[in-house]
Amino acid sequence: MATGFKLTRKGITAQLEPGERSLLRGLFSDVTTMLEPESAAHEDPLAAMVGLDASAEVPGDPALLRLLPDAVRENDADALEFRRLTERSLREGKIGSLRAASLALESSPLNLDPAQARHFAQALNDVRLVLGSRLGLETDEDAEALHDITEPGDAQNVDEYLALVYNFVTWLQETLMKALLDSLPRR
Amino acid sequence: MSVATLPGTGTQTDSRTAEQTATDVPWVVIVWNDPVNLMSYVSYVFQSYFGYSEAKANQLMLQVHNDGKSVVATGPREEAERHTLAMHSYGLWATFQKADQS
Repeated sequence: MATGFKLTRKGITAQLEPGERSLLRGLFSDVTTMLEPESAAHEDPLAAMVGLDASAEVPGDPALLRLLPDAVRENDADALEFRRLTERSLREGKIGSLRAASLALESSPLNLDPAQARHFAQALNDVRLVLGSRLGLETDEDAEALHDITEPGDAQNVDEYLALVYNFVTWLQETLMKALLDSLPRR
Repeated sequence: MSVATLPGTGTQTDSRTAEQTATDVPWVVIVWNDPVNLMSYVSYVFQSYFGYSEAKANQLMLQVHNDGKSVVATGPREEAERHTLAMHSYGLWATFQKADQS
């Protein structure tokens, strides 16, 4: 089992086992693929450059909708207008964090500066949002019901395997948060 | 949306104009509760992005957790839009609206 993230004098570090690295690399890559825009950027170079996507629609996949949520409630027209102005750059920002996190996995032990730690936290969180959506988590009680599935032997089916992965990523995120919060200046 | 501040006409012709004349009504950013985001992560985002103190960040985080939502920033429309997008980049579920809109 990994030891998770710790704040040291060298920054935020973690020892991960090869299997854990490869699991995380696969998860970051899956979420990156989900986020890659469906319409190619070369369709309108100027629009792509300023981050516009006039053809953006509300995602049909609930997990993708959770990553790219409506910014305006109870006003579909305003929400869609905002989506068309901003969604492409939001997708690109998230992909950037996932790639930075994948790159950080290449070093052993992991050693993150504050910006890398933020990217890693964002990437882990997006993975958790996707897994949480696939597991149908809608309430705090739904999430608590998964807590017991922590050993590979506990997973008997796809949902329990997803829950196992979700709990591992959650635990890793918790250790990263503790290290990151310890690293913030006291105010 | 209120159009009472649009001078000379009784109808809304351009929502942007109506919003600009109603400068006394600020916009707010609301973060909504969800079962996935960790309490520690939400507090970290409020501290590191908004620069809020640990006490203020935790207070807002607990309000999201207990009440289902919290107003985390107030200001002009452009600022509310920018903050909402930043919250989405962190994976928090946020929306923006006029402060007087229920």
